[in-house]
Amino acid sequence: MTVTEQEITEYVERVRAALADLPAAVRDELTEDLAEHLAEVAAEAGGSLVDRLGAPEAYAAELRAAAGAPSVGRRTLDHRLAAAVHRTRGRLRTLDARLGPPLGYATASEFLRLLRPAWWVLRAYLAAMLVTTVSTGGSFGLLPRFGGELLAGLMLLAGLVLVSVWLGRRSEGLHGWPRWALHASSVVLVVFALAGLANAENRAGYYPYDPIAVNNPYDAVRDVFVYDSEGRLVENARLFDQDGNPIRLGYPDCVDEWDANGNPLLRPYPYCPDRAPFAPRAPAHHPSTAPVLPPLGTPSATPDPTVGPTGTAPPSATPSGTPEPTGSAGTPAPTATPAPTATR
Amino acid sequence: MDTTQLLKGVLDLAVLAVLRDEDGYGYDILRRLREAGLEEVGDASVYGTLRRLFAAGLLTTYVVPSESGPHRKYYSLNAAGRDQLTRSGKLWRSFATTMDALLDERGVAA
Repeated sequence: MTVTEQEITEYVERVRAALADLPAAVRDELTEDLAEHLAEVAAEAGGSLVDRLGAPEAYAAELRAAAGAPSVGRRTLDHRLAAAVHRTRGRLRTLDARLGPPLGYATASEFLRLLRPAWWVLRAYLAAMLVTTVSTGGSFGLLPRFGGELLAGLMLLAGLVLVSVWLGRRSEGLHGWPRWALHASSVVLVVFALAGLANAENRAGYYPYDPIAVNNPYDAVRDVFVYDSEGRLVENARLFDQDGNPIRLGYPDCVDEWDANGNPLLRPYPYCPDRAPFAPRAPAHHPSTAPVLPPLGTPSATPDPTVGPTGTAPPSATPSGTPEPTGSAGTPAPTATPAPTATR
Repeated sequence: MDTTQLLKGVLDLAVLAVLRDEDGYGYDILRRLREAGLEEVGDASVYGTLRRLFAAGLLTTYVVPSESGPHRKYYSLNAAGRDQLTRSGKLWRSFATTMDALLDERGVAA
């Protein structure tokens, strides 16, 4: 025998492909016995099937005519498209049947059909979130809002769930453009959901690496004041970390004119010397009530200059108090004048 | 007009006729038709006709195992098929007689 099983199988496949535009039931009925028939033909005489019967496509055309099926003159794009769709459907059906048993069902689609009500609710939620995004201008969380109103958003969600379930229970009966519109809007919602998920994933992923800690102890620092060992304020001080990077704290909110560098944060500390927490030491030109920072080392070695020379003059030279004769007991001046009497 | 076009109309009748006395499998039927003079009949036409007659309920099939080759699917006429053969045969004979007479009257050579 010169004709192999494989040759027969291939011939049958090409005939079926040429008949792909027929309804599946008609085509199956026509080609049901074709392989057996071709085996008979092959058994009767020599030569390849194509030699004996002609090209599978021509065979299909003759078969189509003999069986009374509608014929096609030329295979248009529509027919090729239909054939491709048919092949894809066949493959999907095979996959469907193969994936079913691991899930515990005859086919995977049987299992997926059970999930349809869940999809109805989910798509209502997605639609509500889409409305949220449009009405609030892009920012959204997990709950729907209508123009920023949570209550209105929840009412919208409830309404959409009812509509979605109602639509879902009737979608089997939809044909024509309503069906297409439903499918198209589902695709839009799925795309929206994927975009939203990617967005949320991005935000969640960045959070642990955010350099702005919530409880930064230096949040309240607005300025830095450096004092030397004598308790004197150091002006134009600069701070660096271990790598030589400048440490920037606070903000020069008291400076009226901008720095020549353009960047106010490049200014040395303190930004605002007038606001020093400890008073400048020697020149008391402005009477500040601020406390004074004592120098390091021996705090009592140098006397406090504010106590020394100023408190030495008691105001006692007032002339108004002089004619007081109260202290006359100690003054025997008038009585001592008759001293000459003692000379007698 | 060639034989192929004529065959389209009468292949049903021809297939039913060659199955009247003896059941046959596909290639067997094709061979009978060709031996009867229908040289131009194609395999696909016969196969397609058999499928259509079977689908129409005029034929029954059974498989005969073969020791030296593929199993063969035999076709046989059932009661409906025999009725159809009788009616179609009468129709054809009447039609053919009419055509013969028409050509005879006008002296067309046989």
